[in-house]
Amino acid sequence: MLPTPEPHHALLAAEGVTLEFKGVRALHDVSFKVRPGELFSIIGPNGAGKTSLLNCVSGRYQPTRGAIRFDGQLISGRSPAIRAQLGIARTFQNLALFAHMSVIDNIKVGRHHLLKKGFLAGGLYWLTGARDEELEHHAAVEEVIDFLEIQAIRNRAAGTLSYGLRKRVELARAVAAKPKLLLLDEPMAGMNLEEKEDMARYIHDLSREWAMTIVMIEHDMGVVMDMSDRVMVLNFGEKIAEGTPAEVSAHPQVRAAYLGGE
Amino acid sequence: MKATLPPAGTDKATLPHQLAANAAQWPDAVAAREKAFGIWRTFTWAQCLRDTRALALGLRTLGVGPGDVVALLGQNRPEWVFGEIAAHACGALSLGIYRDSLAEEVGYLIDFCRVKVVLAEDEEQVDKLLELGDKTDSVQHIVYADPRGLWKHRGPDAPGGGDPRLLPLQELLDRGEAALRDDPPAWQRLLDAMDPDAVAVLCTTSGTTSHPKPAMLASAAFLGHAAEMLKIDPRRPGDEYVSVLPLPWIGEQVALGQWLLARFTFNFCEEAETATADLREIGPTALLWPPRAWESAAADVKARMMDAPWLKRVLYDWGLKLGHQAHDQGRVSALSQWLVGRALRDRLGFSRLASATTGGAPLGPDVFRFFRAIGVPLRQVYGQTELCGVYVMHAPTGDVDLATVGRPLPYVQLRIDNPDRNGLGEIVVRHPGMFRGFYRNDEATQADLRDGWMHTGDAGILRGDGELVVVDRVRDLARLSNGDGFSPQFIENKLKFSPYVGECVALGDGRDFITALVCIRFSIVSKWAEKNRLAFTTYSDLSARPEVAALLRREVEAVNAQLPAAQRVRRFFLLYKELDPDDGELTRTRKVRRGTINERYGFLIDALYEGREQVDVDTTITLADGRKSRIVTRLTLQVPEPTPAEVHA
Repeated sequence: MLPTPEPHHALLAAEGVTLEFKGVRALHDVSFKVRPGELFSIIGPNGAGKTSLLNCVSGRYQPTRGAIRFDGQLISGRSPAIRAQLGIARTFQNLALFAHMSVIDNIKVGRHHLLKKGFLAGGLYWLTGARDEELEHHAAVEEVIDFLEIQAIRNRAAGTLSYGLRKRVELARAVAAKPKLLLLDEPMAGMNLEEKEDMARYIHDLSREWAMTIVMIEHDMGVVMDMSDRVMVLNFGEKIAEGTPAEVSAHPQVRAAYLGGE
Repeated sequence: MKATLPPAGTDKATLPHQLAANAAQWPDAVAAREKAFGIWRTFTWAQCLRDTRALALGLRTLGVGPGDVVALLGQNRPEWVFGEIAAHACGALSLGIYRDSLAEEVGYLIDFCRVKVVLAEDEEQVDKLLELGDKTDSVQHIVYADPRGLWKHRGPDAPGGGDPRLLPLQELLDRGEAALRDDPPAWQRLLDAMDPDAVAVLCTTSGTTSHPKPAMLASAAFLGHAAEMLKIDPRRPGDEYVSVLPLPWIGEQVALGQWLLARFTFNFCEEAETATADLREIGPTALLWPPRAWESAAADVKARMMDAPWLKRVLYDWGLKLGHQAHDQGRVSALSQWLVGRALRDRLGFSRLASATTGGAPLGPDVFRFFRAIGVPLRQVYGQTELCGVYVMHAPTGDVDLATVGRPLPYVQLRIDNPDRNGLGEIVVRHPGMFRGFYRNDEATQADLRDGWMHTGDAGILRGDGELVVVDRVRDLARLSNGDGFSPQFIENKLKFSPYVGECVALGDGRDFITALVCIRFSIVSKWAEKNRLAFTTYSDLSARPEVAALLRREVEAVNAQLPAAQRVRRFFLLYKELDPDDGELTRTRKVRRGTINERYGFLIDALYEGREQVDVDTTITLADGRKSRIVTRLTLQVPEPTPAEVHA
C-alpha cells in the first residue's frame, strides 16, 4: 500500500547539484525531490548526466556544489558505505556480480553491511547469537529469491547465468537489504522483450507491494512512461523538465531533445 | 458391484473420513512436506486435518453444498490437496484444472461444469478467470492463495473497487476457524452427512480429440481402486512420494487416495523449475511418470554424457553396455552398477526408488532398457481416466516383459472386442472403481459405457499368459495401401529416443510407404551446432541447416535399421517450428493431435508423397506471449539411405 506523502516531505532531495571534472561540467544546478513510495525516472540522451547524478546520490561521486539530502539528513560528503547503512541501494549499468559465487551468496553480499557479528563472534557460532543472525539473514535472502522467482537458480554460479537472469540477481542483491531508496541504472538495457516484461513487473511489484522508493534511469520510453509516477529529463547536464509522464512527454524541449522532436 | 474397502479407523470410505482417521490415530506423524523459501516444511496429519477442516467450513460460509462444483487451479501445493478434500467434505465435487491451460480452456470447463467457487493459486490464474468475464458467470467466489500482484483487483488501490468475488485464502481459513469456534460439531456434521457412494471427484480426460470431458468418480469407488492398486504395489508409512505431475491428472489423483490409505509422505516441490533438484533432495521411493518425463530424463543423461570428458564417456559406454547385456540375460552386472548405475541413480534422485512406473502412452523400449540397465526397476502400467487410472500393471518384482503392460488387477474384468486373426481388438473393461459416466454429458457416456463396460478405444492383445499388449488407439492404427498394419506412435517413440529429435509425427495411412515430420530438439541440437561451429539464429534457421539435416538423417537411418521393412521411414521433413500444445498440435500431456497436424501441415504431407525436393514456407506463428511471428523458410526433402539389407536386395 502506498503511504500518503505529506506535500513537502521528500525522501530524497537534491539541491543545486553541480558536478565538474576539470572543466567538464557533467551536471549543472540540478534540483529535484523524490517522495516516499514514488517511482521516479530520469531520462535524457546519452551523456546527459543521468548516471553521474545517480553516482552523486549513491556516493560514488561528490558533487562540486550543491547538497543531497536523504530522509532529511545531509548525505553529500558522506561515504557510499554510510549511505548504504542509511538505506540506499543500487544496481549498475554494467553487471557487477561475483561470477564464481553462487546466486545466493551474491545476494547475501547485499546484506553484508547489516551483519553485526564479526570474525571472532562467528567462531563462537552458537554462543554469540551469530547463528540467529545468520538464520535471519538467510530468511531475508530467501524472501527476495521467492519475490524475484529465482528459486531454480539459487545454487548456480552467477557467471553461468543468462544476461537477463544476471540482471535479476543484481536487482535481488540490491533489494536484499530492503533499502528505503533503490537506485536502478538502466535495469532493462540489453534485454529482450520477454526479459524486459519480467523486469518491469518486478520493479512495479517492488514499488507497489514492498512500497519501495525507486529512482530509475531507463532508455525504453514505453517502460518509463507506463511505470513512472514522475519523470525528470536531463540534457547536457541540465534539468529541462520534470512532471508526470504525460506532462513530460508534452514538453516541447523534451520532444526536441529526447523524443526526436516534431 | 460394490467396492470393498476396509477403511482404517473409519466407517466411511471418503477422502475426508480417511484424513480425519489418520489425524486421530497418527496426529504427529509426517504426512506431507512442501519446499518453501528453500526449506522443506513438514505437515503432520493433525495439521493437514486442521487446514482442511478450516477450508471446508470456510467453503460452507460461501454457500458451497452438495452437488456444487469447486475448481482447483494452480501448481501442486498442500492447499490444492486440502481444497479438494474440503470440497468433498461439503458434499461438493472437486474439479482439477491444469494450471497451464489457456484462459478459454479454463473458461470452457468452468462454464460447462457450472463451477461455483475456484481455488486459484496466484495472480496468473486469477487473471485468466477475470479475463473471461461473462463466461464464468457461475463463479461466485475466486479464492487465491498468493496475494502478490492482486492489489490491482482487490483492496483500496483497485480501480473501481476491484472484483467483489475475490477472496484471499487466509481470509477463507479464518472464516472457517471462526465457524468452528462458534459451532465445534460442525465438522463432524459435515462428515456424517457425506455419502461415500456419491460422486466426489471430477477428473478430466486428456481430450486428444476434443474438449476435455470430466469423468465422475465416487468416493468409495475411488478409494477402493487406490486400495486395490496398493495390494499389488504396496506403500508404507515412511515411503516418500514427490508430487511432480499435475494434480488434475488421474494418476496424481489416485496417488492422493493412496497417500491417505497408506500414509506415505507426499512431497510438494518449490516450483516446477526446481522439480528435478527437489526430487533428488527427497529421493522418492515411488514414482509414476508419463513416458515423456522418462524420455527426457534419459535424453538429459545422454546430452550430459556428450559433454563429459572422454574417460567418463568411455566408462559410461562400457558400463552401460555391461548393464544391457546383463539385463538381457536376466542378470544384474555388479560391475556395471558400480561403474554407472549407482552414480546415475544418485544424479537423477532415483537411489531409493522401489516402484518406478510409466503410463499414459507407450514408452520406447530403448528408454525402458536404459533405465533397467542402470538399476531403476521401471515397469509399465496402463489405464484411463474413466477407469480410475491404472488398472493393468507389471508386478513390482521379478521379470518384466517389455512388450506388455502387465496383468489387470485381480478385481478387473477385461476382454478384447472384435479381435482380428492375431487377437488384436478393442480393449473393453469394467471394475468397481470405474467412473459413473461423464459429468453432464450423457451422450458421451453412452458412447463409451455400454452395459457397464468401458470401451477404451485402445487396440490390444490379451496374451495367453494373461499379460496385456497395448498397441495403439483403435482408430489410430494405420494401414499402408498394401494392407500392412502399423502404429505411427510406435515409430515416433523409436525416433524420439534420439536426443536430437524433440517431437515427430509418423504418416502413411492409406499410402504406399511411411513418412514423417520431425522437430529437432532445440536444446540439444543447438549445443551440437555450437560444438561443430555452426552459426544459426532461430529454431527455424537451425532446422533448415543442411548439416542438421544430415545429422537427423543418420538418426532416422539408425532407427530404420531396427524397424521391420514395412515400417521404415522413407522420407521426412524437418519442421520449422516445435509442435506446441498452445497451437493445439499436442495435448497438454504432449500427445500428438493427428487431426490438427494433417490439416495444418497437409501441404507438407502432400509434398512428402509427391517427392517434391523443396517446399517454400511462408507462414505466421503465434509465440508463447501472444505475439505473431512470420516465418519464411525453405524445407528440403530428406531421404534416409536404405538399410544395408535393403541395398543387398
